[in-house]
Amino acid sequence: MIHTGISGIDDMLEGGIPEGSRVLYSMEPGVDGQLFMASTLNAAISEGKRCLVIVPYASTQAFLHDISGMTGADPSAIAAGATFLDSTDRFRILKQAGTPGKALQIWQDEVKNRVESGSVDVIFAYLDLLYDDFGLEGAISILTQPVATGQPTVILEHLNLDGEPGLDKFSDHHKIDLLISISAGFRYIPFFNYFTLVHASWLPLRQRSVPFITADGRIIPYIPKIVVTGPSRSGKSTFISSASDCRESVDRSGVSDSPTTVAMDLGWIHWKSFDITLYGTPGEERFDPIIPQLVKNAMGVVLVIDATRPDQMERAKHLIRLSRADRLPLVVAANRTDLPDSLDEGAIRSGLELRSDVPVYFISSVRKADVRHVIESMVDCITRFTF
Amino acid sequence: MYRYKSGIELLDKAMGGFDAGTNYLVLAPSMSSAEKLAIALSRPLSGEYSIILSTDERASEVIDYCKLTGSDKQFIGVIDAITKTSSPTVSDTQRLKFVASPTDLTGIGIKFSKMSEAIFEGSFSDDDSGLFPPPIRFCVSSVSTLLMYRNLGVMYQFLHVIIAKLKKMEAVGFFLLNNESYDEKTISLIKQLMTGVIEVKSEGGETYFRIIGILGIPPDWHKFRIEKGLVVMQQ
Repeated sequence: MIHTGISGIDDMLEGGIPEGSRVLYSMEPGVDGQLFMASTLNAAISEGKRCLVIVPYASTQAFLHDISGMTGADPSAIAAGATFLDSTDRFRILKQAGTPGKALQIWQDEVKNRVESGSVDVIFAYLDLLYDDFGLEGAISILTQPVATGQPTVILEHLNLDGEPGLDKFSDHHKIDLLISISAGFRYIPFFNYFTLVHASWLPLRQRSVPFITADGRIIPYIPKIVVTGPSRSGKSTFISSASDCRESVDRSGVSDSPTTVAMDLGWIHWKSFDITLYGTPGEERFDPIIPQLVKNAMGVVLVIDATRPDQMERAKHLIRLSRADRLPLVVAANRTDLPDSLDEGAIRSGLELRSDVPVYFISSVRKADVRHVIESMVDCITRFTF
Repeated sequence: MYRYKSGIELLDKAMGGFDAGTNYLVLAPSMSSAEKLAIALSRPLSGEYSIILSTDERASEVIDYCKLTGSDKQFIGVIDAITKTSSPTVSDTQRLKFVASPTDLTGIGIKFSKMSEAIFEGSFSDDDSGLFPPPIRFCVSSVSTLLMYRNLGVMYQFLHVIIAKLKKMEAVGFFLLNNESYDEKTISLIKQLMTGVIEVKSEGGETYFRIIGILGIPPDWHKFRIEKGLVVMQQ
C-alpha cells in the first residue's frame, strides 16, 4: 500500500493506494492543494519507498525548499529518498533533442533507466509541462512504460484548466485508478476548499466531496458548520452536548425554570479525521429572525424532533424551510423514541413531507452512540452532496 | 460601483477612471516604457491594494520602483516568478510571494489566491480602508514572458480563469504584452479576454498611448512620459 499521508483520505480508501496504481491529483487554478502531492511524497519517503520525482517547472533545490515549507519535512530526508528530474533536465533534454519526437524518446529512456536502475517504487510527476511539450498521450507514455523491475505506482499532479471535461480526459482514456479533484467554493475569493474523490478503481465508492483546511502542514477534512435545529424542547442542546468533545451554550431559565437556548449552542467534534462544528438554533418562535443568519454557509442540517409530540410537526416543517434544509443535506433525529406513543417513521415522513433521500433515525439524545450515529450519517450525506 | 482612477486626466475626467471588474491589455513594443506605464496604472491609491505578478523583475526591484511613485509598500503585493530560479531557498512573506519559475502556473494561481484572501480578510496590511470589496489593482508584467514558457492555449485558459476571478473580486487588471514578439493571431486571442486595450508606440524618441474599447474615450494617440513613476501627459 502507498499512503496519501492524509488520514481522512486513507480511511476512505480503506488503508491507502494499492501498489502499481495510477493516481491523479487534479487541481483547480488558485486552490491551495499542493499539499496533497506533498503529503503523499512525504508518506512514501518516510515509509522507505524509493521515489522518482519529476518536477519540470522547478530546480530540485527550489522544489525541496517548497515541500519543506509546506509540510515541515526535512528536505535532506526527501533528497536522500528520491531521485529527481527537474527543470534543468527538461531544458537539457529539449536542447539535446532538437525535435519534440526525439525529446519524448529521451524522456522515456531516462525515466525507464531511472526506474529500472533505482528499483523505483513510486513516480511522482508534476504533469503540466510534459503535457504542454508532448500532449497528454505523450506525457502519460513517459510515466507508464513497461519496466523490468515491476510497475511503479504513479502519482500525478495536474492543473485542471478545463473543469469537468478535463477530468473526463484522464478517467476515460488513461486508466487512472484514483482521481481526486481539488477545488474551492468562490464568492469574491475562495471561502472553502474541498476535495472530491471522483473514483477509486478498487473500491465501490460513490463520488464524494469533502471540505478541508490545512494546518501545520497537514490536510484536515473539515465541516465548518452543521446546523442542529428543531422545535422548542425537542432535545437539540442535549443532542449537541452528547455529540461534542466540547461545547458552549447561550441559554437562560424559561418560564418553567428549565433552561432554554436564547442565541445558539456551539459544539466541536474531532471525529474520524474530520473537524466538525455544530451550531444549534433556538427552538422558540420569537428567535426565528436569527435562524437565517445562523444557517448561512451551513453544509448540512440535523432536524431534532420530539417523536412523542405530533403537534410539533408543523413547527418542524417551518424550521426546515427557515433553515433552508430543503436545499441542503438533511438528517432527521427523532428523539425520545424510548418513550411510549412515539411516532413511527411513516408518520414522521408524511408529517414532515420529507424527501426520500432524507434519513430518519430514532434516538435518545442523551445516548452518545445514538447521536454520533446521526452525525456519521450527516457527514456521509455532506460528502455525497453536490454543493 | 467603484472606479479606479487612472492618473490619466482625460480618462478620469470623462469616465471617473476604470470600472471595477474590467481588464486591459497594455500592448506595446519593447523599450517603450510600457512596463512603467503598467505599473503606474497599477499603483494603489488611498484605500486600494495592488498585486503585481512579475516575471522579469525581482520583487525587491518592483517594490523599489513602486515606492518612487509615492505608493505605500504595505498595500502592494508581488508574486515574483524570477528570483527562485537563482535563489531557490527564498521564502514567502505576507506581501512578497515567490514561485519556482514563470512556468509554474499552479504556484502563481495559489499565491494570487492567498494574497487576495489576505486582502479580503484584512490581514494583508496594518491599515485597512474598510471598503468592501477591497479595491485591488492587478498587473501581469508580463504576459509575453509567460507565453515564452507555456503554450498559447494554456495561457489563454489560465488568463481566462484569472480574469473571471478579478471580475468577481471587482478588481481591475492590466496585462502587459509585447506586440513585436507575437503574431496577430496570438494578440487577437489575448485581446478577446480584455475589456479594452491601452496601446503604446514609440516614434522619434517620444512615446504615445491610445485607449481602445472604452465607450466615450476616442482612440486618439496621446504623447506621454513617465516621471517618478507617474503618467505625465505632453502636448
